[in-house]
Amino acid sequence: MSKQKLTIALAGHANVGKSVIFNHLTGLHQHIGNWPGKTIEKAEGTLYYNGHTIDVLDLPGIYSLSTYSIEELISREYIASQQPDFIINVIDATNLERNLIFTLQLLELEKPVVLALNMANLLKEKGISIDFKKLEEILGIPVVPVAAIYGKGLTEILDQGIALINKKSLPKIQKYGKEVEEKIEKLSQALTGNEPPYSRRFLAIKLLEKDTEIEGFIKEKKPELLTQANRLGLELEKIHGHESSLVIADERCHLVSHLVKQIMKVTPRQKIGPNELLDKITGHRVWGYPIMFIILGLFFFTVFQTGSALSAIFDKLFSGWQAGFQNTFGTSLLSALAWSGITSIFALIELAIPLILPFYFILFLLEGWGYLARVAYLTDNLMHKLGIHGKACIPMLLGFGCNVTACLSCRIMETQRERFITGFLATFIPCGAVSIIVFGLVGKFLGIGWALGLYLFIFLIILVLGKIAAIILPGEPTELIMVMPNYRRPDLKTIFLQTWFKLKEFIYIAGPIVIISGIIIEGLNILHWLPHISNFLKPITVTWLGLPIATGILLVFGILRKELILVMLASLLGTTNFASILTPTQMLVLALVSMLYIPCIATIAALKKEFGWKKALGTAVFKIAFAIVISGLVLRLLNFINFNIPFVPALQ
Amino acid sequence: MKEEKEINLVNLVKNQRATILAITAGAKTAKRLADLGVIPNTQIKILRKAAPQGPIEIEIRGSSLVLGKGIVSKILVKQT
Repeated sequence: MSKQKLTIALAGHANVGKSVIFNHLTGLHQHIGNWPGKTIEKAEGTLYYNGHTIDVLDLPGIYSLSTYSIEELISREYIASQQPDFIINVIDATNLERNLIFTLQLLELEKPVVLALNMANLLKEKGISIDFKKLEEILGIPVVPVAAIYGKGLTEILDQGIALINKKSLPKIQKYGKEVEEKIEKLSQALTGNEPPYSRRFLAIKLLEKDTEIEGFIKEKKPELLTQANRLGLELEKIHGHESSLVIADERCHLVSHLVKQIMKVTPRQKIGPNELLDKITGHRVWGYPIMFIILGLFFFTVFQTGSALSAIFDKLFSGWQAGFQNTFGTSLLSALAWSGITSIFALIELAIPLILPFYFILFLLEGWGYLARVAYLTDNLMHKLGIHGKACIPMLLGFGCNVTACLSCRIMETQRERFITGFLATFIPCGAVSIIVFGLVGKFLGIGWALGLYLFIFLIILVLGKIAAIILPGEPTELIMVMPNYRRPDLKTIFLQTWFKLKEFIYIAGPIVIISGIIIEGLNILHWLPHISNFLKPITVTWLGLPIATGILLVFGILRKELILVMLASLLGTTNFASILTPTQMLVLALVSMLYIPCIATIAALKKEFGWKKALGTAVFKIAFAIVISGLVLRLLNFINFNIPFVPALQ
Repeated sequence: MKEEKEINLVNLVKNQRATILAITAGAKTAKRLADLGVIPNTQIKILRKAAPQGPIEIEIRGSSLVLGKGIVSKILVKQT
């Protein structure tokens, strides 16, 4: 009898529709966490199917099972040691050959695999025909054509997989060339079979590939085997003229090449489809850039427009609540503290729903459509100047909405070094809250030109800091190696679910710390400590930055949420006519400090989650010092050249 | 032996075809490229180059792949 409770895993390249299949299978029954001790996303979900309760795990999108990245290592260890009942290898049928290279590696683990050929619906349009039965025969595993976006083929995958458990049949071994097979045979014989969770053949192949993890694993059990593996590897190198790991990778490519020739036929088409045309234009070396600015511009415009409209609605909704709260609970110390906690919750809601929700939604839409990969392609050159590569455009774009989401998305970068540089630089991107200050203060009173000038100045700073970070941080920069996805219809269900789970993550990370620090600052306010803080900060705010003394308090509140700087300024003044207390230069300096100094408390929490306390606090301290120095210097420069910025005429 | 003109992939322009002769990148990068099917003796075609110093997109084994400039400069090819 088959088991009632099953565990299955989805494995495959990025951008093959793995997450579409995952979301169709599990829907809302999923939770996104982290792999123990690693900042790699772990998406798990549950599915009920024909009396089975199936736990589905979506492994990270990877291109091989070697140890190029943590994601690959995690996936391999999971498949080997956790023994899922079967693995669904999702591949893009329209990019069959490249995807099968990974499939061959996966089959080497000798576990039950169902091959899901996704995007099978696009084959005809592309003039490709695949002999599924023959592919099944050669690999010795079930092959299922799938159109994940329409939910087609998903039940068959499950049926085939469940049938596979009972059959206990394993994939057919794909044999390498004679010399390689000899070496594998020799090593397999030397392995006693006491090396679970890995199969002997897999271990032998990985030893020849000089896989450091497996070498370490064998060293504990049979150290003498390493010398033998080394010797055999050298023999291979002598015959083929390059490293044994590459010999095997080469042979794998040839195996796949040979396989594909037997099962696939391509009839070249004359007609260029609409998607190819779109691809030609949006990736064009000249036109691609203006189009990118228009698309991203529209993206930001839409988000901020809907954002401010929704914000206004929420403001109205929440406006009467304070009086109601005080009527019910009085104005005691405790109720004041509780109220400050509640305002923090309101603020979170006002940030999450009007701003972050549409931001993520449109971003995932662009990603699902295939456009973000084009942005990465177009911006790779620019990002290289920052010591990172094109994929960093995603966290950078998110940064304009919210730095928290930006830091959390740095996981898409390959190495720890790239992740940190990207996260660090993303905290300099003016987020939605900062843009409120810049446009509400500088834009409104000094003119839009000055506001945009500040943005330009910040981008310049990011460029310089990126350059410096790339030089001082140890390690080699990673180059962009990216699979360019075809344009396709985005799957709305997947996008809704992705947006929902990201929003949840944001609330979990930002929520607690924003509420707690909101209460603490209110406590300081009630104790009348805030003026002391302002006095304490006087040497910096007044002497060095030439700002009014009250700005000390503002900057403390700004740690909580940047836009509070402007909100508190208005409430201290009792008016929004900031021209009555700030000179134009002071406005410029205050806006600049607000843009540069400490990331908000929620961003610090996100930095801590991704990079640890040390780097999070280090970034915060650096940014405070940097903001003070740069803003002070800008002030002196403006004074030195005796530059007078006029208010916009309408206000004079 | 016929003399083969070995050139750097960087020097190819859009729509040119070539065969990869050698990859001079470090072992790790070379392995990653091999996992994606980029190995010597493979036919490629330049699909496009991003202006001016950017990455290039190639067609290889029936799929397209984007490679950063730093990697491209380590791939030696023979024009076909």
